[in-house]
Amino acid sequence: MAPLAEDANLLSTSDPNNVRKWLAAHHPKQLSMLDKFEIELRLGRLSTSSTAAARTSSLGEVGMFGTTDRRLVTSRTVELLKSLIGSTRWRNAAQLLALLRGIGQELHAAGGFREPAIGNVVRRVMAAVREETLNEEPSDSTKKAAPTGADMESIDELEDNMGNMSLKRNTGVGGSASRSTKMSLTNMLWDHPQGIKRSSSGRHRSDSFSSMGSDSPLPSSETAGQFPPIYYANRPDLRQSVMEAIQEIMSDLEDLHKNINDQATSHIHAGEIILTYGRSKTVELFLKAAAAKKRKFQVVVCEGAPHFGGHAMANSLAEAGIDTTVINDSATFAIMARVNKVLLPSHAVLANGGLIAPSGSNMVALAAKNNSVPVVVVGGMFKLCPMYPHEGQDTLQDLVSPSAVIDLAEMGDKLVSEVEFVNPVHDYILPQNISLYITNIGAFQPSYIYRLLAEYYHSDDWESFE
Amino acid sequence: MTDPDPATVDDYPIVIQDLLHYLGPRTSLDDKSAVALPVAAIKALLQVVQRSKANTMMGLQDELKESSQSMLDYALEGTLLGRSHIALASGCELFLKYITRTFLETPDFDACKGQVLERGEHFAGISLAARDRIANVGHGFIRDGQTVLTHGWSRVVAALLLKAAETTHFDIVILEGRPDAAGAKAAALYAQEGIPTKVVLDSAMGYVMESVDLVLVGAEGVVENGGIVNKMGTFALAVNAQESNVPFYVAAESYKFARLYPLHQKDLPTMGGLNQQHLDFVDTASWHRTGREGPSSTKKQQDTNATSTPHEPSNTVSGIVTIPHNVKVDNPPCDYTPAKYITLLFTDLGVLTPSAVSDELIRLYQ
Repeated sequence: MAPLAEDANLLSTSDPNNVRKWLAAHHPKQLSMLDKFEIELRLGRLSTSSTAAARTSSLGEVGMFGTTDRRLVTSRTVELLKSLIGSTRWRNAAQLLALLRGIGQELHAAGGFREPAIGNVVRRVMAAVREETLNEEPSDSTKKAAPTGADMESIDELEDNMGNMSLKRNTGVGGSASRSTKMSLTNMLWDHPQGIKRSSSGRHRSDSFSSMGSDSPLPSSETAGQFPPIYYANRPDLRQSVMEAIQEIMSDLEDLHKNINDQATSHIHAGEIILTYGRSKTVELFLKAAAAKKRKFQVVVCEGAPHFGGHAMANSLAEAGIDTTVINDSATFAIMARVNKVLLPSHAVLANGGLIAPSGSNMVALAAKNNSVPVVVVGGMFKLCPMYPHEGQDTLQDLVSPSAVIDLAEMGDKLVSEVEFVNPVHDYILPQNISLYITNIGAFQPSYIYRLLAEYYHSDDWESFE
Repeated sequence: MTDPDPATVDDYPIVIQDLLHYLGPRTSLDDKSAVALPVAAIKALLQVVQRSKANTMMGLQDELKESSQSMLDYALEGTLLGRSHIALASGCELFLKYITRTFLETPDFDACKGQVLERGEHFAGISLAARDRIANVGHGFIRDGQTVLTHGWSRVVAALLLKAAETTHFDIVILEGRPDAAGAKAAALYAQEGIPTKVVLDSAMGYVMESVDLVLVGAEGVVENGGIVNKMGTFALAVNAQESNVPFYVAAESYKFARLYPLHQKDLPTMGGLNQQHLDFVDTASWHRTGREGPSSTKKQQDTNATSTPHEPSNTVSGIVTIPHNVKVDNPPCDYTPAKYITLLFTDLGVLTPSAVSDELIRLYQ
C-alpha cells in the first residue's frame, strides 16, 4: 500500500511536476500522449482558422484554412482528458481534481494561454467532477446542512425545501447542489466556504476566512485542507459518472454548429445587409444555414489584412449562392451606414462580457456603435473564459511576426532598426459595444455572461492555471 | 461629528455602549485595522443574544429588532458617522436573517443560541478578511504607469491600493473631499506609503479626467440594481468617467449589499442627521482635522494653495463672509450612483458586474 500512499501525497498538491511524476511512475502511456499534445500546441498546429492564418501566413506558407479549426482543438483536448481520466488510477475526487489542475497548468504553460478554449474545457470537466461528487452523495440532510445538526427529523421537510430552492436556482454544471459549497453572502459571513484556497501570498492570518467557522473542522495540514471532506470519500461509481459527463461535453462540441445554426433564421432576415470581418468557420456556417432556409440577404466581407482571410470567406459564401461583396478594411466606416447587422466571430468571451476577436474587429465594432448597428457575436460556450481584461487591448498579448505586413528582406537597415512593426493577432472589444452573443445554448446579452460563468465553471477553478 | 462625551455614555442603553466599545477608539490616520461600523454592530447584537433572557425564538428576535432599531436611531442622530447608516442596517438585517436560518436548522433554542455565540466569536476577522480578499481580486486591474483617481476615505480602497503598490508603480489623484477632508486623510496615508499622490479640488474632477486611467471608490452601501451609495460627489465622478471612457470601479464588502432600490437621489434614506442642515467646511489645507501637522512639516504632501496658516482654528478660513441666516443649506453626506455608470465591483465574493449584485441579494434573502 505504500506506493498508493505516496500517490496520495503526490496528487494532493497539484504542482504540475508532481502530476508529471505521478504519471511517469504509473501511466507512461498517458504521459507520452500528454507530451505529444503539448508539442503540437507549442508548434501552433492547434489554433483557430483566423489565427492559424495569421501564424502560417507570417511564416510564408500557404494558409491552411479549413483544416484546423477551434473545435478540433477542443475535441482533441477532451479526448486527451478522457483518456487521462479513464485509464489512470486516481482514487477519489480530490485526487482527480488535483490531476486535472496539474494537467491544466501544464497545457496552459505549453501554449494554452494562447488558446483559452483548452483551459476552459479542463475547467468544465473539473466543474462536472465537482457536481458529480456532490450530487451522488447519499441524501443525508446532515451533510448538506452546515451546522452540527441536532435532531433533524422534525424539520427534514423544511430542509429539503430549502435545499430544493437552492437546487432550482443553481442549475447547470457548476451550480453545485449543496448550497453550502456556493460562495454567497451567508457563506462568507457564517460558514466556512468550502473549497476556498489558501491565500496564494502564503500569509495565513489567524483571523482570516480560512480559520473561521467552527462547523467543518479542517485538518491543519495544507494538503488535506484543500477540499471539503466529501471529496476524499472513496466512491467507485464516480469514474463512471465522470466519464458520462465528459461524453456529454463531447457531444455538446459535436452538436455545436448545429445548435448555433438553428438560431440563424431568427437573426438574419430577408433583405438585410450583413457585415463580417475576415474568415471564420462559425460565421460561415451560420450564414450558409440562413441561406439554406431560402433567406435572401447580402453579405459584405472585410478582407482582413494582412492575411486576407476575407477573400477565402467570400469565395466560400459565394459558392453557397449568397450575394457577397469584399471591401477594404478602411472602407468599413464608410459602408457602415448601409449595414443592418454586424456578425463577428469570437476567440474568447471574457468574464465581464467583453470579447477577444481577430485583430481588426474592434474597428468594426466601434464603427457599428457609431452608426447604431447591432453587433452580434457567434461562438460556442467553450470560448467562455473566467478571465478579466486587466490589460485592456493587450489581453492575451499575442503578437506575430511583422513579415506578413512588410517584406523584411527588402527593407533597409535603417528601417529595420528604427521602425517598430506591430502585428497583433487579437483585439479586445468592450462589452458595451456588443449587442448579443449567440451560442449553442441560446442568445445572451453581455451583461448576462457572469451568470453563465457561474453555471459552467466552479469559482474555485477560475484562477487554477496561471 | 464629535466623539461622544464620555460622561454621558453610561446614559445610553447597553447595546449602544457595546457598540461604542467594539468600534474602539477613534484613531485618526492609521485605522487600517479599525472595525467597520456594521461589524461592530453585529458584535453588539451578539452580546444582546448572550444577555438575552428570552426562552423562545420570537422573544429573541424581538429583542434583536429592538436593539437594531436603537442602534440605527443612534447612528441617525449624527453622532456616529451618519454616513454608514445603510451598511449598518443591512448588517443588522443580515444577522437577523442568519439567526432565523440557524434556528430552522437547529430547532433546539439553547443549542441554537450556543451555536450562534460560538461562531460569532470569530466574527472579528470578517472585516479584515473581506478586505484582504477584495485587495486580492482587485489589485490586478491596476497596471504599471497608470493613474488612479479616487474619492472619499475607504479602508477597502486603501487596502486594495496598498496591495497593488507592492507590485506595481502607479500614481494616485485624490479629490479633496469636502466637507470632511476625506481626501486629505487618504492622501496622507498613500503618501506615507510612498505612492506618488496628488490632491485636486472636487470641482477639478472633469479637468483631471483626461489624464486618469481608472477611477476607484468605496461604497457606503450597494443597492439592489448594482448602484452604489457613497460620499457626495461620486455620482458626478461616475458620469464624468463614463463620458471620458474611463473605467469606474467600486470596492465594497458584501455585507454592504442592501435591500434598497432608489430611483432618484431623493429616495435615499436620510442620513447625517443634524449635520445635514449645516455646512461645516474643514480647512483641508491645514490638515488639522486629519491630525497631521501643517503642510510644511511633511515634504511628500501635495501643493494645494494653502491660504491659511496652520495656526488658525480649523473650521474657519480667513476672509470668508458668513452665510446669512435666511439662506438655506443642504449638505447631505451621500449620493446615489446608478448601476449603468459602474464598470465592475470588487467584493469578497469576487469581481461582479452590476447585474450580478441583484443575483447575490436574491440568493441571500431567498
